[in-house]
Amino acid sequence: MIELRNVSKLFGQTRAVDAISLSVQTGELCVLIGTSGCGKSTTLRMINRLIAHSAGSIRIDGRDIEQIDPQQLRRGIGYAIQNTGLFPHWTVARNIAVVPRLLGWPAARIRRRVEELLHLLDLAPAEFAAKYPSQLSGGQAQRVGVARALAGDPDILLMDEPFGALDPITRESLQNELLRIQAQLRKTIVFVTHDMDEALKLANRIVVMDKGRIVQQDSPQALLAKPANAFVENLLGGQERGLKQAGLLRVATLMQVLTTAAAPLAGPRIKATDNLRQALSLMLWHRCSSLPVVDEQGRQVGVLRLDALLDRPR
Amino acid sequence: MSLPLRSNRVIPLLALLALALLWCLDFVSIQPNRIAPGSGLGLLAALGPVWALLLTGLLLACGLLALWSPRPTYGPILALVWLLLLQLPASLAWSIERHIGADLPYARVGIGAGCWSLLFLLGLLLIELQQRLGLSRVWLLGSAVVLALLLGWLAGQGWLEPLALLREYQSRRSQFAAALSSHLALVGAAVGASLLFGGAIALLLQRYPRAHKGSIGLLSFIQTIPSLALFGLLIAPLSYLSAQFPALQQLNIRGIGWAPALLALIAYSLLPIVRNTCVALQEVEAGVIESARGMGMSPAQVFLQVRLPLAMPLIIEGVRVTSIQAIGLTAVAALIGAGGFGTFIFQGLGQSAMDLIILGALPIIVLALLADGLFSLLGEGFSSGARR
Repeated sequence: MIELRNVSKLFGQTRAVDAISLSVQTGELCVLIGTSGCGKSTTLRMINRLIAHSAGSIRIDGRDIEQIDPQQLRRGIGYAIQNTGLFPHWTVARNIAVVPRLLGWPAARIRRRVEELLHLLDLAPAEFAAKYPSQLSGGQAQRVGVARALAGDPDILLMDEPFGALDPITRESLQNELLRIQAQLRKTIVFVTHDMDEALKLANRIVVMDKGRIVQQDSPQALLAKPANAFVENLLGGQERGLKQAGLLRVATLMQVLTTAAAPLAGPRIKATDNLRQALSLMLWHRCSSLPVVDEQGRQVGVLRLDALLDRPR
Repeated sequence: MSLPLRSNRVIPLLALLALALLWCLDFVSIQPNRIAPGSGLGLLAALGPVWALLLTGLLLACGLLALWSPRPTYGPILALVWLLLLQLPASLAWSIERHIGADLPYARVGIGAGCWSLLFLLGLLLIELQQRLGLSRVWLLGSAVVLALLLGWLAGQGWLEPLALLREYQSRRSQFAAALSSHLALVGAAVGASLLFGGAIALLLQRYPRAHKGSIGLLSFIQTIPSLALFGLLIAPLSYLSAQFPALQQLNIRGIGWAPALLALIAYSLLPIVRNTCVALQEVEAGVIESARGMGMSPAQVFLQVRLPLAMPLIIEGVRVTSIQAIGLTAVAALIGAGGFGTFIFQGLGQSAMDLIILGALPIIVLALLADGLFSLLGEGFSSGARR
């Protein structure tokens, strides 16, 4: 668990972070979001002491981080940044092995760990272990960046706009990857982004920051339902809020279940695991007010009606 | 005639120039003895019609191959240039064979301007081809080495005996060895010391960036002092020190000799080393340093494992520039009695013995080329991992 209490950071006369209090529960994926210069990155980097905080206290699992040697602290916290920050003169395997080597693991264990992580991030070890960062695509490099952050098996992961420089398709696949890994490993993750869609997709809790202060912190659903002020509303995309909210809900939650599964007739259909936003888009496209819902095997398990979307309680 | 778009115009131009110079200038010159004035021999007179026409044909073929094929075929051109290069020592031996008989035991053959021009232009052609074909620089170095070996072998066989350059060398073997060792020692010591000091200065400037502008300004100012003036300026203070402290005299530190030369060389070498090292250390991507710190590396680990290795190619580039500069400047240092190949140059100038000058200048050029090649290779080796 990470607890920030009344933490401030002054750069000269400017208050980059202004007395914020925040606690991130173990296993939670907490997203810090805001416009550039709002202090979200500074907040993140105070947690692993890359930036020293000016006032307040930061505790990790109850221990004040100022009591911990900064290098020891950082070796226990995974760190991934935008543009990867991979070491260009080292191979992928050597890059991933940085923290385990710093921790003094035996060579055999490091080798096993590197291989395990390459598998976890869907990179074939035989193909990628010996490559240099310049030989990787942006998405592959970022996967290596995430693998490197996970290498020392830290409980906490700090991610500073890790997918910010990627194209939308690669970004989405890496977001899915992160969700999959998180479901598997249950790390405590603090994730900085300026992309609300990314925040809504990944977060258990979203912390909206503006001018060094926390404006609102809530679950994605609650944030969409009740934005605290115009700034948050604006960040949520104003008129597109409805769609964003629909994007968070699965078709299965609103469909009318069929008692007997059967193959549906030809025509548009939607999977139970898709979200309502995709369902709505399909309805608009095909000009229909109901869609057959199918499972992974393509058998119809229910029907989704437009009415159900409209009648949904707030 | 409209030239095809893809044709290479550099190679035909160089080949044509080589051809013109070869025919207009003397290929070799012959002196009956060291003092008597020499008489120049043109290409035809020196080599005879067959060899002269062969050379002309080869050069024309180079130019035409580059010009006429829609996509120039550099492979065959490279082979032709190689052939031309390797026939140079043979052509010298051949012209000696043709003109120097047993009746002229003291005769000397000087290498003429035409021959030098051909060598120079062939060098340019090789560089052009090396870049077009994307060959490594080792290739150029290798060509030079093969040429030198061939020359050495022919000289060993006694076929180049009357070559003036060789005669000058043979009467100065031990001086040549001494000049080589003192030249190398001066350059090595100067580059080594300035790498040490320059590295230290660059590290200090990293820590105190405010001093950056002033320090670089001072070093740039030193760079603008003419080398001879700097050598001269150091004579007075060193003479004084040496007179005051007899211990210094035992180390052979005097107003003239190796001490002022070394000091001046170090002063000149500091700028390229400090500037390159500073830039190299600063240019390392901020994100890489940030993530190194974020992973929990200590400041020493960040420097030794990340910053320094990534800066290495540029630092070596600085050492390369410095070495070449020092090799050239050491020639001037001969004027204040520091030894080295400059000694031959200035002796030759005094005696107006052209071949003695060349005996001093040629090794300096070769040393500079060697330093260039070696440090380029080293730099490439260091950056190979970081590049594609």
